[in-house]
Amino acid sequence: MKLLNVTNRYYIIIAVALVLIGCGFLTYRLLYLFDREITQHMLLEKQVIDQQLYEEKKLQHMSFKFGDHIEVQPIDKFTTFRIHVNDTEMFDPLKKEVVAFRILSYEQQIDSTGYRIKIRRRLTEDQDVLYGVLVAVVLIGLDVVISFYFLNRWFSRKIWAPFYAALNLLKNFDLRKEGKPRFRSSAIEEFNRMNNELRKLTDKVTSDYHNLKEFTENMSHETQTPLAIIHSRLDVLMQAENLTEQQQEHIRTTLDAVNRLSKMNKGLTLLAKIDNNQFLDEKEFSIAEVIEKHLSQLDIFIETREIRVIKNLSPRIRVTMNVNLADVLLTNLLSNAIKYNVDKGILKVALDEKTLVISNTGDAPLLSSEQIFERFKRGGEKIDSTGLGMAIVKKICDFNGLEISHNYYEHLHSFTVKLNSDKVKLT
Amino acid sequence: MKILIVEDEKDLLNAMVDYLHQSGMTCEKASTLEEALERIDLYDYDGIILDIGLPDGSGLKVIEEMKKKNHQTGILIVSAKNSLDDRLAGLNIGADDYIIKPFHMPELVARIKSVFRRRSFQGKKELVMNELRVIPDEMMFFVNDKQVPLTKTEHDLLMFLLSNSNKVLTKESIAEHLWGDHADMADSFDFIYSHIKNLRKKIIDHGGRDYVKSVYGVGYKFHSE
Repeated sequence: MKLLNVTNRYYIIIAVALVLIGCGFLTYRLLYLFDREITQHMLLEKQVIDQQLYEEKKLQHMSFKFGDHIEVQPIDKFTTFRIHVNDTEMFDPLKKEVVAFRILSYEQQIDSTGYRIKIRRRLTEDQDVLYGVLVAVVLIGLDVVISFYFLNRWFSRKIWAPFYAALNLLKNFDLRKEGKPRFRSSAIEEFNRMNNELRKLTDKVTSDYHNLKEFTENMSHETQTPLAIIHSRLDVLMQAENLTEQQQEHIRTTLDAVNRLSKMNKGLTLLAKIDNNQFLDEKEFSIAEVIEKHLSQLDIFIETREIRVIKNLSPRIRVTMNVNLADVLLTNLLSNAIKYNVDKGILKVALDEKTLVISNTGDAPLLSSEQIFERFKRGGEKIDSTGLGMAIVKKICDFNGLEISHNYYEHLHSFTVKLNSDKVKLT
Repeated sequence: MKILIVEDEKDLLNAMVDYLHQSGMTCEKASTLEEALERIDLYDYDGIILDIGLPDGSGLKVIEEMKKKNHQTGILIVSAKNSLDDRLAGLNIGADDYIIKPFHMPELVARIKSVFRRRSFQGKKELVMNELRVIPDEMMFFVNDKQVPLTKTEHDLLMFLLSNSNKVLTKESIAEHLWGDHADMADSFDFIYSHIKNLRKKIIDHGGRDYVKSVYGVGYKFHSE
């Protein structure tokens, strides 16, 4: 939920509650006031009637009705001074419906004659007024809530603008790209503080990243020459006459170690180079052709292990990417599918405009589908593997915006590369 | 064969000189561009092994100078893996071949010998060793003047062994020579074993001697005697 909606939600809840409470209070007060006012009005009427009864002698001893409003009835005996006020519902012949009435009835004695006087008053008008007022109040409340909502939106947009700007900068922040995010200063202190901290943080991350990158680069570059020297010296040493078997063994194990180190070095250098954007020149080419080329280079290994190759390559698919990286990607995937295959196993290569799937028969994986792509994670006892092959594959895929996944189903390992539709062309 | 090695890394330079010397070549050293230019001005060489990245300039200058002199010297460029442009530029202005650092010494020897062969005899030269005879460019192989059919891999293997005769060749260097980037596929190296076995069998079956000896755990050696 957006911050804006959260504050708005609270505002609206509170505003609605306030309007409701206000309505209740207003209704209560209005009802009370009307009630009092009506009764007082009736009492005033009573006085007028009393006055008139007293003065108009001819009216005395008569029972009369004054519309449905006032009713005077002589009674035999005056009993009480009490005034009764009660609300009732009566049929209104004018409106032809049952409506609420208030009746004020009392007994009055004039010149020893007792009268019962009833004053009636319709309550409908007052209720109408009350309803009118309530509707007006609710409308005002609604008005307030709506303007609150939009005003709040507008204010929040304005006030939180620096926050959203910073958020956007962070979203687009990419260590590999040049240029630091430029957080703008704002009039609000909190945002300025946040931006300052973000600036420090991104600067730190950037410099750490560059240091690390530089270290990896230097490390892999600077170790190349010493490695080459060890290697060449071992080559020379190996040629010496009269080496004992033990010495030969020493040379052999050293050579193995140096070879592994060289391979690892090569892999790490490649990873560092991809990070450094050193493979930017892209070309359009047919993947099927490149796959065929690699398969033919690998055919000796395929034949020797009697691996059955099932190809389903659409030759019409051309992709745009760096050729060297494509070579490495396909070599690694294909070699992997042969290396970890079983004798007389199957190697499937399928290519359509959306995906490239390379599958091979194999034992259940020791690593999870995610771990397979991590550096120095080996899926077996293969001492020759550097543990970098799949990490390189992943890096190349990431670099080119390709999605790669692995799954294992019914003795078949499958690596699926989702092609980037922007860079695929059909011919 | 007289070779000039231009390489700024002294230790590597010395190792190369030692190894090539063992292979029967005469080597001279240069570790800067200036030194190299001076040497090619004063002496003639059969081949130059040239590192492009020198401290005082690009090794490409050496190739340009050699072209001016119109020499028949074969030039082999040594380059780092990431300097594809240098490599292409070098080949364009007249280098014969390139080798990427790091490399196996036998590979260097095979390359420089191949460059030398192409240069001196326009590739027509036959390689003769006792009863064996190879015409590299036509991929033909004779034992006692009888042609023996070889697969491409066997031919490559034979050339590599002949170029490095009497040297211990590690399985890694053979694998890399034969399969390049796919060398680590031959991880158990049974592949090399079967190729060596086939080649040996073909030579012996045609009346040749058993030249290839296995060096336990390390690799193979081609005895020329």
